[in-house]
Amino acid sequence: MNRNEHKRIGVYICHCGLNIAGTVDVEEVAEYAANLDSVVVSRHYRYMCSDPGQALIKEDIKDLGLNRIVVASCSPRMHELTFRQVCQDAGLNPYLYEQANIRELCSWVHDDKNIATEKAKDIVRAAVRRVYWNEPLEVKEAPFNPDVLVVGGGIAGIQASLDIANGEHKVYLVEREPSIGGHMIQFDRTFPTLDCSECILTPKMADVGRHPFIELLAYSEVEEVSGSIGNFKVRVRKKARHIDESKCIGCGVCEEKCPWKVDSEFEMGLAKRKAIYIPFAQAIPNLATVDADHCAFIQSGGKKCGACMKFCEAGAITPETLLNQTDQIVEFEVGSIIVTTGYDVFDPSVIPRYGYGKYDNVITGLEFERITCAAGPTGGRIMLKDGREPESVAIIHCVGSRDQNYHEYCSRVCCMYGLKYAHLIKEFTNAQVYEMYIDMRCFGEGYEEFYKRVSKEGVTFIRGKVAKVTDRAITEEEKGKLIVLCADTVLGSLIRVPVDMVILCTALEARSDAEQVAKIFTLNRRTDGFFLERHVKLDPVATPTDGIFIAGCCEGPKDIPDTVAQASAAAAKVLSLISKGRITLESAVAQVDETRCLGCGRCEEICDFHAPRVIHTDGRWVSTINETLCKGCGACAVACPTGAMSIRHFTQEQIVSMVEALTEV
Amino acid sequence: MNLDDIIKETKTFYCLECGKCSSICPISRYDPAYSPRLMVEDALLGLEDDLVHNKELFSCLTCGACQPKCPSDVNYPLFIQKMRAIASSNGEHGECAHSGTIQSLIRLMSNPGVEQRRLEWLSNGYRTSDQSEVLFWVGCAPYFDPIFEDLGFKVTDIAKASLRILNFLGIEPMLLPNEKCCGHDILWTGDLDTFKKLAEQNAAMIREAGVEKIIFSCPECYRTFKEDYPNYVEIDCELQHISEFLSEAIEKDGLRFKESKKKVTYHDPCRLGRHLGVYEPPRKVIQAIPGIELVEMEQSREESLCCGTSAFTNCDSYSKQIRVERLLEAKATGADTLITTCPKCQIHFRCAMVNKAEEKGPDIEIEVMDMVNLVANALEGESNE
Amino acid sequence: MNEFEPQIIAFACNWCTYAAADLAGTSRIHYAPNVRVIRVMCSGMVNPIYALKAFEGGADGVLIAGCHYADCHYLNGPVKCDVMFEKLKNLVHTLGLEDERLRREMISASEGVIFARVIDEMVEQLKKLGPSPIKRAREEATV
Repeated sequence: MNRNEHKRIGVYICHCGLNIAGTVDVEEVAEYAANLDSVVVSRHYRYMCSDPGQALIKEDIKDLGLNRIVVASCSPRMHELTFRQVCQDAGLNPYLYEQANIRELCSWVHDDKNIATEKAKDIVRAAVRRVYWNEPLEVKEAPFNPDVLVVGGGIAGIQASLDIANGEHKVYLVEREPSIGGHMIQFDRTFPTLDCSECILTPKMADVGRHPFIELLAYSEVEEVSGSIGNFKVRVRKKARHIDESKCIGCGVCEEKCPWKVDSEFEMGLAKRKAIYIPFAQAIPNLATVDADHCAFIQSGGKKCGACMKFCEAGAITPETLLNQTDQIVEFEVGSIIVTTGYDVFDPSVIPRYGYGKYDNVITGLEFERITCAAGPTGGRIMLKDGREPESVAIIHCVGSRDQNYHEYCSRVCCMYGLKYAHLIKEFTNAQVYEMYIDMRCFGEGYEEFYKRVSKEGVTFIRGKVAKVTDRAITEEEKGKLIVLCADTVLGSLIRVPVDMVILCTALEARSDAEQVAKIFTLNRRTDGFFLERHVKLDPVATPTDGIFIAGCCEGPKDIPDTVAQASAAAAKVLSLISKGRITLESAVAQVDETRCLGCGRCEEICDFHAPRVIHTDGRWVSTINETLCKGCGACAVACPTGAMSIRHFTQEQIVSMVEALTEV
Repeated sequence: MNLDDIIKETKTFYCLECGKCSSICPISRYDPAYSPRLMVEDALLGLEDDLVHNKELFSCLTCGACQPKCPSDVNYPLFIQKMRAIASSNGEHGECAHSGTIQSLIRLMSNPGVEQRRLEWLSNGYRTSDQSEVLFWVGCAPYFDPIFEDLGFKVTDIAKASLRILNFLGIEPMLLPNEKCCGHDILWTGDLDTFKKLAEQNAAMIREAGVEKIIFSCPECYRTFKEDYPNYVEIDCELQHISEFLSEAIEKDGLRFKESKKKVTYHDPCRLGRHLGVYEPPRKVIQAIPGIELVEMEQSREESLCCGTSAFTNCDSYSKQIRVERLLEAKATGADTLITTCPKCQIHFRCAMVNKAEEKGPDIEIEVMDMVNLVANALEGESNE
Repeated sequence: MNEFEPQIIAFACNWCTYAAADLAGTSRIHYAPNVRVIRVMCSGMVNPIYALKAFEGGADGVLIAGCHYADCHYLNGPVKCDVMFEKLKNLVHTLGLEDERLRREMISASEGVIFARVIDEMVEQLKKLGPSPIKRAREEATV
């Protein structure tokens, strides 16, 4: 603080037409302000934000050597930036400016002219007192790394990656599974057009695989992210596939010859894969992966099996790769990150009365997708566990959704996929189909029309939540069936519906490891478990952490059109940052007076953004602030016991000066 | 008071500029900008303005380590106290720790319109009486509890333990429901107006209470009443620190304690030790508990190292370094527990041990306890809770 | 004899409560003129000393208002403010000031009506309580 600086304050009272002047005696306020300490000039004018109004300030700064400016007008949330720019244009640091809000907080909310004028004087006095203590702040910029990290290779990640890479900027796409594709590649048909999911997705996957600007790190996970917008350091663990990736041509012979079978994650446990496998036919990258936990060669230390090695013509599998290949750590830097980690399917076994896990033919929606898929475990045949075609199917909505006991939210897509299943069952079998629903949510393009279509196909719609699925028959007709007990709220009765197959429309929920992911990327989670967006309406893909975006189902359940829209939105945000090429750092950030710092770490503990860090320097422990991470929220300054920590432009001195100005008798 | 008067009253005139004060001063040891000798020199050169606006004027701990060593008997702590009064009237206040919350509370308390609710920590198990001849001075404990919550102890527990001890000895003391801050911190940061208000209000309440003796658990309150109040008001009572009271009780009444196997060391608070010369009573009390082994720190009694901050002002990295030195000294004795008789010292030591950063400093963890808590735990019979 | 008009100092966070106060203005919702608003970036920025200084200056009431838990621009500001507020409440209570003089609210940017209502309510309560004991003693001293 330059205490020897002689403060020369200029005060400008705006009429704002009659908005202020109609209630507040602006002349009286200007006269009052002229007599305040250190005020050199005090004027009033019709529209301070207008060109001539702004010119007044600029001239006074030049002619009268003003070094502090107060404009009493509308809310600073309206024109603070305008007048800061005026100061800057006149050669005065923009932070040497204060705006006294005598419109929204005064003239617009009071009638009585005397009262409003007195209140305006108080507000102006407080602003004049505060601006006295304002300090010039440097407006800092930092360069922006144009490379981008996309986390998660489902449709959201694929879309975002392509949008950015097509702009000829480098994208690192990190995917946990051996192949990209996410959940969408597991679907059969997509509503409402019923086009085949693989057919529309695989061309995009192939694009990603061969794109010159996309570096695909599949079978990899992000372990650590440090730094801040424009300059993130990322550490990725590339898991060992135990093959030579440069030689593998994805022919699949190793999988054919491998004798060891494991439940296939891709087929939702309805089929087996091998210990060495390619998850599905169109996998990108098209590489085999060895499941070390189930590979007999690896488990026996090289004594058993080895069949794959014998038959691999490319020589991609060797004892060296099988036994000695380890995970690789890959490190790189990016300027922005898009998190598209998707969702998990709700596990309905926590609702025992629905019989999932107990009865063979109670299945989830995703399992049914695999059943109807021509490349799936049943070759596209809709069949029961024992191979028979079902004569009747019940599709139960809202399993785990819209339920205080599990998830309060609506999963948005289940009504539509429930209708989709009804349609497919009607198309490919002669089965009776029952839809047990509470509401039909068909909000999107072509959705309501699809509902109409399906309802004309002879599907029975029963409005009521299902209480129970049981195999205890009480009539002859019910023997050997699964009986769905539910309320029919339209008819006002309890009904028992005997069926062969029950499909549960399970909720979409946040990934089970969302907490760890949130920590790595400094994301917050909403109460429903999904990642928190910056503003639910006006900024749905940004997060409170600058430079990190979210898109797709990790932000909340949504259908494919919305997912793609969000992915492109996130890409657009990133492209905008890349295009500007630099970021303006927040100036009003925390600062440490090292002499007063105890090194206690209370600041480090309370900060959600990891900005303060205690370091050992010069024989002492002191806190330091990473200004690119600091948001200027002020929590650390409150936690600091000695006053070593303060927030620029919101120092204790500045704020207390206002309190004292307002309470003086 | 002007600079000349201060120089006369504090014998600063006799300064030999030998630098002994600076060599022993704990602040000087760590803060290169601080020198008692140079401050006195400025005064003697008549550089009042420089002194008054010198930030370092408020860095002195007023611990009095320099005073017994000064060959010319300069009363440096008093010199600082008086200079700060001039500084304060010139708008200088030092850098208040905890955002000045404590100073603000003291000023608020000094307002005669304030009727506090400061005894809500007192549960039914503690016996007090409006008729007693003995007043127990609680101090600012009810305000310290919320402010220092993160230090893991309640300052009011010191008051509770004191009451337990007094009750045990058959005394049901009076407690003033609107006791105002003694004003120690405000006096030592130069705000004489507020100090006077506090002294006057306290003196009036004590007079009205008609007590004959006041017992203190806080050395700062004790010192203020004994040494500073007489300049402003009359307190016609016997004044005693609880360690002195207990020490007498042990000698006179043969007070017995339960066994408590503990190796402890004792920290002499500046206000009790050097300022008032009370060194032996707390030691007598501690050693009267069977099983206790008392080991002295390297710097003890008159040589005791200050806890590092005074009047919650100018607490900084140098204060921290002093505390680290003292705590390492305590640990070097091999003691499990550091006993002290001052709530402020305990607050400062515990604060020094707060280590929330990932980058950890030196290991200075040691249990800190007030003497009255040690004694209360060793009393026969049930707790008063 | 003038009717007692209490003075309220309000600390409002930039993103939520200050915006709500602005909205009350834009919507031309009239409310009692007794409040003076000080803008902070976050309710977690409010230091107890601000409220204590306000009471020292003779303010009759202090309002600390910010975002709801899920809305905070800085994620957990309201939680941090809660922790501070518990301490402050304790101190103000021990000082003997009536509990109604210190108030904590969560007012989002869309709740202009609520901002106005809170001010009106607080003014009514403070009128019943009378001037703060700090102010009363100060005024008596000058008489």
